[in-house]
Amino acid sequence: MLLEIKGLTKRFPGVLALESVDFSAKAGEVHALVGANGAGKSTLMNLLSGVYRPTDGEIIIDGQAVQLSTPGIAVSCGVSTVYQEFSSIPQLTVAQNIFLGREPCGKSGILSHKRMYADARAILDKYHLELDEKALVENLTVANLQLVEIARALSVESRILILDEPTAVLSIPEQENLFRIIEQLKQQGMLILYVSHRMEEIFSISDRVTVLRDGKKIDTVQTADILPADIIRMMIGHDIEQSSGLSTADSGEPIFEVSFKDKRRGFTVVKGEILGVAGLVGAGRTRLARKLIGIEENNDMDILLHGEKVNPGSPQDAIQQGIVYLTENRKHDGLFANLSVLKNTTASALERFTSFGFLRQGNEKKAGTKILDRLHLVASSVDVPISTLSGGNQQKAIFGRALMCNPSVLICDEPTRGVDVGAKEEIYQLLVELAQQGVAIIFISSEMKELFAAAHRLLVLHEGDIVEDLPTSQLTEEKVLQAATGTLN
Amino acid sequence: MSDRMGGDVDGIQIKLWRWASSNAIWVVLALLFIVAALLSDAFLRPVYIFNVVRQAAPVGIAAIGVTLVMILGGVDLSVGAVISLTAVLTAVLMDGHVANIPLAVTVALATGAIIGGINGTLIAYNRVSPFILTLGMAVVVMGITQIYSGGTARGIVSPGFREFFNYRIGGIVPVLALTFLGLALVGVRLQQTTKFCRNLYLIGSNPLAAELSGLPVRKITITAYALSGLMGAMAGIALLARSGVSSTFAGRGLEFDVLAAVILGGTTFQGGRGGIGGTIAAVFVLLIAFNLVNIVGLDYNAQLIVKGAIIIIASSAYIYFKKVR
Repeated sequence: MLLEIKGLTKRFPGVLALESVDFSAKAGEVHALVGANGAGKSTLMNLLSGVYRPTDGEIIIDGQAVQLSTPGIAVSCGVSTVYQEFSSIPQLTVAQNIFLGREPCGKSGILSHKRMYADARAILDKYHLELDEKALVENLTVANLQLVEIARALSVESRILILDEPTAVLSIPEQENLFRIIEQLKQQGMLILYVSHRMEEIFSISDRVTVLRDGKKIDTVQTADILPADIIRMMIGHDIEQSSGLSTADSGEPIFEVSFKDKRRGFTVVKGEILGVAGLVGAGRTRLARKLIGIEENNDMDILLHGEKVNPGSPQDAIQQGIVYLTENRKHDGLFANLSVLKNTTASALERFTSFGFLRQGNEKKAGTKILDRLHLVASSVDVPISTLSGGNQQKAIFGRALMCNPSVLICDEPTRGVDVGAKEEIYQLLVELAQQGVAIIFISSEMKELFAAAHRLLVLHEGDIVEDLPTSQLTEEKVLQAATGTLN
Repeated sequence: MSDRMGGDVDGIQIKLWRWASSNAIWVVLALLFIVAALLSDAFLRPVYIFNVVRQAAPVGIAAIGVTLVMILGGVDLSVGAVISLTAVLTAVLMDGHVANIPLAVTVALATGAIIGGINGTLIAYNRVSPFILTLGMAVVVMGITQIYSGGTARGIVSPGFREFFNYRIGGIVPVLALTFLGLALVGVRLQQTTKFCRNLYLIGSNPLAAELSGLPVRKITITAYALSGLMGAMAGIALLARSGVSSTFAGRGLEFDVLAAVILGGTTFQGGRGGIGGTIAAVFVLLIAFNLVNIVGLDYNAQLIVKGAIIIIASSAYIYFKKVR
């Protein structure tokens, strides 16, 4: 066994994040680590990469017990990690980033650029990474940024590579490229620890799967011997119902109509409808949404809300008119991380609780708690900082914020990103309920499965244009993919 | 969740840490006060204590306003210059007559609020760095002060003005000290109860999320800076009331005392956290420390060293507390 873990425990003040986990993995294997948010995946990963020190237990690499007390030591023991959040420096070149902090020097201590670029090229060639070593990182796509991080991890003779949710930011062809690279590394005898909660990819690339729940290891199984439903059951501890496909919405009155001034195809959302929006990363889905709420300038669309022309100049405007946007990037422009769950929930609706400039905090708490209860938010109190909650619960609080605005149109951008399976189901349920109550819902997602499960109709975007608009029942995943990649005739 | 919590002992320790780290400045103030009382029994005499409060008034009042903009994630370096300008302005407009007091005070307050409003407008609409912008404004205001006053201490304070603010109610509490404490209490109360202050915390915590959530980010920004200017003007008037003499450099360097107090009090450059309570405690920590230095018999320059050292030690302690959490 290349990597063995015995009785690994990590206790944070007040929380047992990882409890006596035993685990082993061998060279030349892709080992998936799965678990709902808060299951202990990140803790385990951080213990292996030297970010945290274990409270108890041992880590054994190649038969030798190691103390991975700093990230530097972890790297020198052959453990490299590619995090979800990238740490490259945009102003530097690919090669400079690969050798960041370990720049090759001549005898006199002066940097040898020539050697650095040659070494970088050698690494890129060895692992077939299609990158220009001289390119500036700020000009790279997200997918290529990830390759830089991987190249950096590989440049230190790693034997264990930890990938944290590596496909979260990738489009489908980019994912396939990543899988190809992983396959290659595996052939070369590397151990890949693959942290993810996307079932499809776990099944397409992993050899074995270890499931964590509530800080404990549930089981390690051969991927070939198991079905996705089994894993999900192990992750959440009980069965989930497959959400039934939706019948088409009653062809009610149009609530939200968008047309382009230059005669490109527009769209309409009718009352009670969930309109899914598919497309590859970069197809312009988020940009469309942000133009609709006026955070980016809209000068090419006419928007009708309840038959009346609107053109929100700011999110504040949009919210007042009943158009609410739920961001795809919670951390960046969704959460007030250091503030309480309650303050996060009521942020958009403070006017309701204000008289003469003073907040009626009793009413605020009552209304906030009520809506969070409805969303089944789990927290010890609504007064704890929202950063202490799991991704799913954070997302619920942000949903609560949107609902408190009483939206006519709710635009959700990747509402299930970074959310565990159980909470995902609840979010789909919620969207259906809201639609039934007459809210027009625009549901942007990169997960085909959930679009098919939760949307009545699908728009497909390709390079900023709407290239398909059909009821879900008349579409297949294949057809959507073709439209999204511009290969549909 | 409950099954994953640690034992009770664990819980109490953590609660204690949390309490200590969020109220660290009060703990420091209490300790410092005990040390001061041991070194000199003056610190146990109400008259002396309220004199310290009176001394603290100008910096303290200005710090309340700067706390607001720093909660918002900004900073106001023009406050020292505003103090100087408004002090001179008030003295000149008073011109030695009691009848001129209302006009003088009104014009001074309006001037402070307008300067702050300009800061806020430029920051809200141009997204300039508040640091650079308010520094530039400080230089401009300093220039205006020099031109307006002709570079000399112009203006005569109205009779009774200084006497009123320094009158000791019951022979103990100066009106100026009471005014300062009153403003501080009102500030703390409003900070907890108004929508405006909630918006400050929200915007400071994450300006992008605030905009997406439909908060009136620009309006709040302008208002906060205008309030900071207004409080700066009050501080200028307080300074004039304390000393009774107009000087063109009265407020010079005070922005650093103000900034030190705000940061020491837990309202960091990060925005979205801290508050007026901590700032007030920090104002007293700094002042008691300087008084101690005086009592021990060191001179002004030694005070500077102590001032700097306190800021460095306090901010390191703050980081340490945060890590432990």
